Amino acid sequence: MKISFTLNGKSTEVDVAPDRRVVDLLREDLRLTGTKEGCGAGECGACTILVNGESRLSCLMLAAQLEGRCVTTIEGIGEEGRLHPVQEAFIECGAVQCGFCSPGMVISAVDLLGRDPNPGRGEIRRGLSGNLCRCTGYVKIVDAVETAARRMNAASDVKPDAGEKERVVPGAPGQGQRR
Amino acid sequence: MLEVGYSVPRFDARSKVTGEEKYAADCFPEGFAWGGVKRAGIAHAKIVGIETAPARALAGVIAVLTHQDVPGTNRQGLVHKDQPVLAAEKVRHWGDPVALVIAESRETLARALSLIRVDLEPLPGVFDAEQALRPQAPLVHESGNLLLKGEIRAGKGEDALGECEIVVEETFEVPFQEHAFIETENGVAWQEADGTICMHVSSQAPFRDRFEIAHALGIDPLKIRVSSPYLGGGFGGKDGATVQCLLALAALNSGGRPVKMSWDREESFVAGYKRHPVRMYYRLGARPDGTLHGLHCRLYWDTGPYAHLGGEVMELGMEHAGGPYRIPNTEIEGWCVYTNNPISGAMRGFGVCQVSFAFERVMDLLAKKLGMDPLALRIKNGLRRGDKNCCGVTMVHSTGIVPCLEALGRHRLWTERDEWKRSAGPFKRRGTGIAAVLNAMGYGRGLPDSAIARVELTPEGKIRVFCGVVDMGQGNSNAFLQIAGEILCQDSSCVELVHPDTGRTHPSGSSSAGRTTYTYGNALIRACEELKAKLFHRTALFLMLDEPRGLALAPGAVRHLPTNREVPLAMLGKSFPESDRVCISEYVMPVAQDVPDTGKDFSIGFPHVLFSHAAHIACVEVDELTGKVTVEKYLAVTEGGRIINPQGFEQQVHGAVGQGIGYALMERLMMKDGRILNPDFTNYILPTSLDLPDLDSIAVETVEPTGPFGMKGIGEVGINAPLPAIASAIEDAVGAAVNRAPISAACVLHALSGRERANDADGGVQR
Amino acid sequence: MRNVFQPESLPELWRVFEAHPGASVCAGGTDLLVKMRSAMMNPESIACVDRIPDLRGITTEEGGMLRIGACATHGQIVSDPAVRRMFPILVRAVENLGSPPIRNMGTIGGNICTASPAGDTLPPLYALGAEIELRCKAAQRRMLLKDFISGPGKTCLRQGEILASVRLKPPEGYYNNIQHFEKVGQRNALACSIASLAALLQVASDGVVLKAALAWGSVAPVVMTCPDAEKELIGKPLTSETLRRAAAAARQCANPISDVRADRDYRLEVLGNLLMRLLEVAPESAPARDY
Repeated sequence: MKISFTLNGKSTEVDVAPDRRVVDLLREDLRLTGTKEGCGAGECGACTILVNGESRLSCLMLAAQLEGRCVTTIEGIGEEGRLHPVQEAFIECGAVQCGFCSPGMVISAVDLLGRDPNPGRGEIRRGLSGNLCRCTGYVKIVDAVETAARRMNAASDVKPDAGEKERVVPGAPGQGQRR
Repeated sequence: MLEVGYSVPRFDARSKVTGEEKYAADCFPEGFAWGGVKRAGIAHAKIVGIETAPARALAGVIAVLTHQDVPGTNRQGLVHKDQPVLAAEKVRHWGDPVALVIAESRETLARALSLIRVDLEPLPGVFDAEQALRPQAPLVHESGNLLLKGEIRAGKGEDALGECEIVVEETFEVPFQEHAFIETENGVAWQEADGTICMHVSSQAPFRDRFEIAHALGIDPLKIRVSSPYLGGGFGGKDGATVQCLLALAALNSGGRPVKMSWDREESFVAGYKRHPVRMYYRLGARPDGTLHGLHCRLYWDTGPYAHLGGEVMELGMEHAGGPYRIPNTEIEGWCVYTNNPISGAMRGFGVCQVSFAFERVMDLLAKKLGMDPLALRIKNGLRRGDKNCCGVTMVHSTGIVPCLEALGRHRLWTERDEWKRSAGPFKRRGTGIAAVLNAMGYGRGLPDSAIARVELTPEGKIRVFCGVVDMGQGNSNAFLQIAGEILCQDSSCVELVHPDTGRTHPSGSSSAGRTTYTYGNALIRACEELKAKLFHRTALFLMLDEPRGLALAPGAVRHLPTNREVPLAMLGKSFPESDRVCISEYVMPVAQDVPDTGKDFSIGFPHVLFSHAAHIACVEVDELTGKVTVEKYLAVTEGGRIINPQGFEQQVHGAVGQGIGYALMERLMMKDGRILNPDFTNYILPTSLDLPDLDSIAVETVEPTGPFGMKGIGEVGINAPLPAIASAIEDAVGAAVNRAPISAACVLHALSGRERANDADGGVQR
Repeated sequence: MRNVFQPESLPELWRVFEAHPGASVCAGGTDLLVKMRSAMMNPESIACVDRIPDLRGITTEEGGMLRIGACATHGQIVSDPAVRRMFPILVRAVENLGSPPIRNMGTIGGNICTASPAGDTLPPLYALGAEIELRCKAAQRRMLLKDFISGPGKTCLRQGEILASVRLKPPEGYYNNIQHFEKVGQRNALACSIASLAALLQVASDGVVLKAALAWGSVAPVVMTCPDAEKELIGKPLTSETLRRAAAAARQCANPISDVRADRDYRLEVLGNLLMRLLEVAPESAPARDY
């Protein structure tokens, strides 16, 4: 079956069994091995990708479901040769040990900061709670996301022509409810 | 600049966060086929027949292999060779491999595996170590169920308990623990035209794997090449053959095609190694002033059906059974027993994690009975350098337990604990608990703990470290580049790493035992110093100096300080043949010189002489309505000599504590007749980011003169304390002791409601 | 290989059903794909219904009814302003469900049709008296959610029929008072419920309970409601004594199982204990706590 979708910004067409798992399509057929598989049952988050900008588990999606959709894998995070601030912060803050959970963890962090640019540590923990890490105890991962958020906010604050909607106004509506 | 002692961000982090790093799991070689295993599906049975014809007949099946197709001994095992590659007469646990299939696709593989019929005649099984020792118990092996009985005795042994005014006694149980690395066991293997078997595998010990394969399959070890990239976690579970012998067998039968085998999560649970469950009977005696005087313990270790590292795990546990304390008279008995449960083996903490629960709990009991402050009791009895430990071995190296305990005692989590406990909200109770632990480094006596480092100046002028010891995520390779950069004064862009590969690097032992950075690091320091001298000599030639003096390394060059002239490393690299650009050096870890007259049953491993230490405090909140325990605050104070990379040090502490909290509160393997009822991440509960607190870590820096830059390994010690510290904190909160792990909410709720201790709340479900 | 259909309208879906009566419906896939992996299900084809507009969206209808499309994801429900305003009880249940990516994928319709006694949305929906809308090619019918689920994994869904939406009446008189949900799991995320309680209470200014609707998850083959426990509360002040009596009634009513997550005794004890938390969450108007 032919499936057309946007993969990391590029129009892509693949000929694949419609019921092939997306994680297999990405890893085995397209050799985008940055997406990992840890459990195959949606319980570890290692295979997290963005579909139409939202985090999804590629082990629980079928290839056919990608039709017409926009997929971002870890290979599509950051811009040509430049790391995403979340990736930079992961490196600096020591959020990476074995690294097998890191791509999924980064995707979840990017997803979180897209919805809530100013999360507290509790919200960060909540936002990453679908990604198991067996190495770190999570503390440095939370540090990294906190650091990335701070930097991204600082960067968008200093943009001279930043539109109102890009500006971060603490406590403004639409930033998600805090508990 | 790569400076030792500074938090250099890990150089492997970049490729890991971008997804570019290729783990073994990411290897899909051209034209590969899939390999997979048919497993017993019963804990104990006689194999009557294996019907493979329907599977063989399936289109897309390349080979179906059974024990009859295994050349060589068909036996693997690190110390005792008792584990078949493919079972022949009997299956001894649920996950025992019976047949191996090679197929074109995963779908065909699954289909073929389902078509294999194994005719099994069920045998009664045995699923408890003590029961397995009874005379009428079913035999896992014809030679009997006892793998190893060990005894360590110091002073007057058990008799000293009779001299003690105060004796406390209790029984403890600790469960299986799953390593639960996110990258499951996997690898690829193929046969080269010259017959060499090549394997790229997620393994902690590629050099040892080569001999395992050679022995099991009757192949010349030099015709086997094993390489290991970064591992997606190991924690001991990839120390020993997992997929290796099966993959090599597949490669011999795939017609030259590469074969990939990757266990799915359920298979990893069923077939992978576990932490040993242990039942521990403890008696500790003291004088009225709290001076420890005697210890007697009997420890029953369930090693599953094969020896693997069972005897060695038990040995290390027994060696630590007295904790970081001075106890002049000890008698420590251990039985390592075969059962039809899953195979137990190495896991971070390696036996020490288990006994730490027992010795710290009896210390709490003793403190209570004496009416003594638990911290004061520990400090009073804590080992100091020059003391003899519970095996009678003199602590001649850095011994930092007392400084750790003192640092803990100054911390606000300890000093302000009463105030914190009083401010519990409605339906909540709070408690704090401490634990003092230690963990030996290295293999111990009987097996040299050695590493061989090779360092090269490349023709491009870079420093290349050929690393023979795997980085499973703990960051040792970063420490190695940091060491090379420090000695040779290069920054991270000028150093590079060659991953362990039996074809390119030198044997340096396993990535285990808290030895990795210590042993290889020491070898590397020597190799780098030699390379430095070599570079100075060659530079002297270039600069026509009388002698190689006044020279210093600078980034990318060697500089003659008196004249400020420089020779770029790239020029040196291009000007000399490889033999002039390479230095190889070896290091062997020191061993105890005062081997006590005990522990004779241990062929390898006894005793150790280098230890790291830690003291932890856990602050927990218990919900009165549900029994749920939340670790609110946690501090780990760790002594591991000097620190090469503070960030890496903290990473190890955090990670160990995280796994330890899981072990204490939630990780429970449910067994029924040798079958795991929860072989998945849905029901084997690992902590998520919402289940762990913001852990605090303090380092107590000592100097270990034998260590590379004064360091010792601290990857393991941190996992030993969370269970006893949390158990102690829960007792503090609810007023009832918990002596069995994991400590479920049900158990705590029963303790709260004042009923009889709820250790059996899980009924027949737990082993 | 199996076919995967992605109808973009209900008529297209009916055609798929006609051609492939054995097709399994996939909304978010978080349950179906797990069951396929473990070979609990092996459908010959799959109909993904998440692109059908009639099954999507959260809208307020006349009479103030809130209609939640069956394919609304948990993530959409949690961030919907109307749901947040009127049904914090549902928000609390859903924000604890699975994990962020699971919430981005899983749907309320899927949670209902899976009909697990541990389904996190079910206790609040039972307590709220949710009504569901079922559609097939020829007809449409509505019923109470509690009548739709008949056993663990069992519903009254007919061949060729689909769950289209969930309808909720604004809980008049409730939402100034107590909307409480608590789940007991083995951890704080990615947890299957061991026991859960949804409680809607209207408490008068003198502290007397005027109305009560209680529903428990994971303590019986289907979500448990317990009129006897509610009766113990109605007309009485919200004290620990009242709650203890309600808890005893609830324990009488429950029939929990032992499984890999917890045993029966624990569930029995906790399902009652969870009521005690109402003392803590009681609004200002409720009397002072007396525990």
